[in-house]
Amino acid sequence: MATQIIMDHSGDSRHEFNPADAAALLEAEQRFNALLWDGYTAAVRTPAGDPTVIRKFDPKAEETLFVPRFVGG
Amino acid sequence: MFGRLKRRCIDAARRVLGAWRRFREFGFYSDSEARGLALLKEWLTPEQLVQYRQYRHFDVTGCHTGKRYRIRYGVSMNVCELDTLGRPLVGRCFVPKDNLVAGDVMLAQKIALETNERGALQVAKTFSPRWRTIHTEV
Repeated sequence: MATQIIMDHSGDSRHEFNPADAAALLEAEQRFNALLWDGYTAAVRTPAGDPTVIRKFDPKAEETLFVPRFVGG
Repeated sequence: MFGRLKRRCIDAARRVLGAWRRFREFGFYSDSEARGLALLKEWLTPEQLVQYRQYRHFDVTGCHTGKRYRIRYGVSMNVCELDTLGRPLVGRCFVPKDNLVAGDVMLAQKIALETNERGALQVAKTFSPRWRTIHTEV
């Protein structure tokens, strides 16, 4: 199972999907694009554990984290 | 006489601080805060996790300039650029637009500095850090 994690006021919301399921994959891709359209940044972890920003849906990513856009404090 | 009294006061302060930290770690956080911290800990490198557990802050390296930043527990005014000796140089205040818990804010700041340092600094406002310089690693 792959997971999309969206940061929110409750800590985070998680959407799990089966990458082998075409319908679930399409839904995950649509969610990915909608979140990026809303200004979120998508990040995955490299095998070494370092975060990397992605701008295109990666069906092989086990965990994708969505971070809201930043503003000056 | 005063030296002994001073040592006892320091020991007592350490015990109180330790108890307070344990209380905060296990009994103070709301569910959302606990979830945010759990997510943060999943994404920290082993070195950052050790540092966070010990000091409640961790250091990151900016992807563009190679500068070091210290992110401490908090939701605003919690990022500080470090000088070459590891001392706070200037505060950089930038936060996610949404209202997030501390763990999420810290993780978002880490990702921003490690993947898009210039973008983060572009929106950041500066402030004078007033953090204590104890726990400063060189």
